[in-house]
Amino acid sequence: MKRKLVSVLLCAAMVGATLAGATTVFAEEEAATEEAAAEETTDEAAAEEEAAEETTEEAAEEEASDEGGEKEWEYKEAELTFLIDPDTPSQGYQAVFDLCEEKTGIHIETEIRASGGEGDNIVKTRLASGDMADLCGYNSGAKLGELNPEENFIDISGEEWASRLNDMWRQAANGGNEGAIYGIPYASTMSSAILYNKDIYEEYGLEVPHTWDDFLANCQTLQDAGEVAMIGSIGDSWTIQCTYLGDHYNVLAENPNFAEEFEAGTAKYATTPAGVESFQKLADLQPFFNEDYTATTYADACDMLVNGDGAHYVILTQALSSIYDLYGDDVNKIGLFGIPGNDPENHGLTVWTPTGIYGNAKSDKKEDILRFMEFYTSDEALDAFTEAQKPDGPYCIEGYELPEDAYDAAKDAQAYFDEGKISLALEFQTSVKGTNCEYICSEVATGQTTAEEAAAAYDDDCKKQATQLGLDWE
Amino acid sequence: MKRQKRLTLLGDILGCIFGILIFATPFIFMLLNALKERREANLLELSLPKEFMWSNFAEVFEANDYLIVTAFKNSIILTVGAVVVLIVVGSMAGYVLQRRNDRTTKAVSTLVMTGLMIPPAILPTIWVMQGLHIYKTMFGMILVEAALQIPFTIMLYRGFMNTIPVELEEAGYIDGCTRGKMFVQIVFPLLKPVTSTIIILNAVTIFNDFTNPLYFLPGTDNSTVQLTLYNFMGRYSSSYNLLFADVLIITIPMLILFLIFNQKIVDGMVAGAVKG
Amino acid sequence: MNKKKIYTNWFLVPAVAIFVIFFIVPMVTSLFFSLTVWDLQTFTFCGFDNYVTFFGERSLNISVVNTLIYAVLTSGLKVIFAFFIALFLTSKIKTKTFIRSLVFFPNLVSAVAVGIIWKALMHPSKGLINTLLAVIGIDGPNWLGDTSIALFSVIFVDVWKGVSISTVIFIAGITSIDSSYYEAASIDGATRWQTIRHIVMPLVRSSTNTIITLSLIGGLRCFDLIWAMTKGGPGFATDVLASVVYKQYAAGFYGLSTAGNVIMFALIAIIAFPLTKFLNSREVYN
Repeated sequence: MKRKLVSVLLCAAMVGATLAGATTVFAEEEAATEEAAAEETTDEAAAEEEAAEETTEEAAEEEASDEGGEKEWEYKEAELTFLIDPDTPSQGYQAVFDLCEEKTGIHIETEIRASGGEGDNIVKTRLASGDMADLCGYNSGAKLGELNPEENFIDISGEEWASRLNDMWRQAANGGNEGAIYGIPYASTMSSAILYNKDIYEEYGLEVPHTWDDFLANCQTLQDAGEVAMIGSIGDSWTIQCTYLGDHYNVLAENPNFAEEFEAGTAKYATTPAGVESFQKLADLQPFFNEDYTATTYADACDMLVNGDGAHYVILTQALSSIYDLYGDDVNKIGLFGIPGNDPENHGLTVWTPTGIYGNAKSDKKEDILRFMEFYTSDEALDAFTEAQKPDGPYCIEGYELPEDAYDAAKDAQAYFDEGKISLALEFQTSVKGTNCEYICSEVATGQTTAEEAAAAYDDDCKKQATQLGLDWE
Repeated sequence: MKRQKRLTLLGDILGCIFGILIFATPFIFMLLNALKERREANLLELSLPKEFMWSNFAEVFEANDYLIVTAFKNSIILTVGAVVVLIVVGSMAGYVLQRRNDRTTKAVSTLVMTGLMIPPAILPTIWVMQGLHIYKTMFGMILVEAALQIPFTIMLYRGFMNTIPVELEEAGYIDGCTRGKMFVQIVFPLLKPVTSTIIILNAVTIFNDFTNPLYFLPGTDNSTVQLTLYNFMGRYSSSYNLLFADVLIITIPMLILFLIFNQKIVDGMVAGAVKG
Repeated sequence: MNKKKIYTNWFLVPAVAIFVIFFIVPMVTSLFFSLTVWDLQTFTFCGFDNYVTFFGERSLNISVVNTLIYAVLTSGLKVIFAFFIALFLTSKIKTKTFIRSLVFFPNLVSAVAVGIIWKALMHPSKGLINTLLAVIGIDGPNWLGDTSIALFSVIFVDVWKGVSISTVIFIAGITSIDSSYYEAASIDGATRWQTIRHIVMPLVRSSTNTIITLSLIGGLRCFDLIWAMTKGGPGFATDVLASVVYKQYAAGFYGLSTAGNVIMFALIAIIAFPLTKFLNSREVYN
């Protein structure tokens, strides 16, 4: 008996020892990997820089020639660091950074962090530990609110040049504090809208519809003529939620306070007529989808739209860039209109604001940060950005016209901006988002459930998120 | 006798036809389409490419800054590491579990066999790994993969030990072998057939594992080949030529392993070696 | 000789240590974490709320039924196909090594890759399967998009991919049958079928049991292939327990996800333990 006890104890001791050993070994290894990773990032950044430099040089030359009366920038050498995720395309911002260095002397060192949930944690940790870069790239809207911006980021609302930022951006970058602006938009907006093939519209003499019923009538005409009226791409199931997401303008048209009430748990989709309609629209579309829409992918769908194998596609306008990459100027065969509601006089667009660039409030280079931001939002910088990376929609800058060679569909979106018929998407107004959204939407779009059931299911789905966020929804 | 021969011949022919039709066609289809140009490949036809695009393979390699090379390195370290750990700890444990029969070994057997049935608890495993500071490290990942395959490995070793007579060990005992020497020099070499089986089955499982690296080894620098493929699937969802080329490239290591161990797979599973 | 001295229990320690730390400890702690709202750093105790939410999950019913169908069908089909393929491959044919390699080949390819290939083959309008069916005048179904057959399409692919391991186990079982049995049978004038029915089948029972247990449990835990082929869709039509658990994890609901995992343990334990007991008892009887 005694011997057994001894052996058990020994056993335990050994396990403990192994563990302790493992821990020390791995602390070292971790450090080593981190180092390696850091090295790699800089390498990458350097390579990117090089690549971007070429493009900007050209851009700069062009500008110098056609714009004589440019603003004179104060030139003072400085260096700022910029933390961003790898999924944000770098051509645009890098072009502006290079121009910025040339004109203002501010050199921006880009540091790439992880994306997704892991990236969010990195940002939060670095803010908490005071280790944040001078400039932080992060989502605008509700997610910005989670970063405690009033403490962490510089409020730029008092700056003279900040008056150029439009209302939509002010809403998305205030982090929940009315009147404050914590950063600048990194790129243009995009929207979730109906993209349509203009050649097909011309062929059948169709007009852009301003109510949902008119839209369905257009679809019917096309279907009767043997065309594919709607392109569906459940092969990439996230795409199917764009109809629901893009319909938010119409939900807000019925109840302007929907987002706040939804977050508080008092408004529900199932009990808001316009909310149920958002899902009903998916059900309405089902008969018009292409035959193999359950297997069609996002890229297939882009092909179909530009080649005229389908007339309409509800999608985020980033699809324009995807199409441009493959088909070049054929992208201008595509036009855009917002998802219509019931009132022909109130046909609007649901808009996604871009990632923001926020200035670290704890940085000792506040002045340089502000100088950089002013430059970044200038016409000159926007031109450089556009040159390197075509915008998927209008910019959040008042008074800046999209250039001649912008996508036609982006110009269509500009019209909604000019009339002020735009609203932010729900995800910018509240952090509560149902994680099963795409599956619920595809259930409706494949005729497995009704719009009412889907709306109720979505409300239930959001409850889980509310619990995780610590909201009281009872 | 003649009739018998003809019948076997018929069996040979039919077997080959069906075998090729059912098991090889999908791969032939994939190989052909991997060599086509994007639009042609997207028609998904079983036909010879109009033009052989060997450059597709180069393109897959170059994608995302040669990420696939890093991924190969990670996957190979992971697979080799975990298989080595499994062979060492599994053979030792299987050996003792079969040779001894008392309360301790019975308890250990039951404990380990539970692992064959119960699915792993993923998030608490992450929690444990964080506690040990080995979350998101290759070392941690190797140990997790090993832990998941330990039951199956021990089961095979223990079963195979049944077929090895104790006489050699008795002789070794009389010659005064230490227990370590006895295992390493006498027993382990006899386990060669089952070790081959274990190598190929575990290597295939771990190299092809997608779920566990997804949970325990996130991050681009840590990508394994399966994760690269998964991300590739999102990015190139309608470039079947590149997708298929990627699949082919990442299947090559296992194909080589299979060619080496092909004959041995059955040997290791002899006579009731596999017992639930 | 002294068994205890030669076969020291120290040899068990490394395996047991790894297994306990990375399998048993997480399993036990999962019981606790399933009762919390958890984000891996901090947790708040919430009683059985997660279980209530999980059981209220609309897709849960579908997923439990799907999981059972999946497990039963894949293991059943694998046993049947593998047995006959193994019989065939242990007969006198000359190309057995070649055919065995063919059968084993899909097993070398990962589930994600297999998913990609079969998604292409099963494409409703341009996939090879439907193109071939169209040649003989059949309008092929939408294999993965039609909610009533999507699950069965995935099951088919799972069997296609996994039948090789079962076949190898059967081949091992069949080749280890003592040839005297066959001699006795042929002296008695047994037909080929009688030999199979009364000699081979009973004598490979332990292989059969292994296959049933392994593939049934594999089926109950399946995730890779479903995720690669349908992501549980369209909608929730092909969700299985593991995919529901994964979705909760991906959404960051760690407590909820862990509760789902515990439910999965329970379901598997309820099925697997009695089943192995039952199968083993039959084995002894024979």
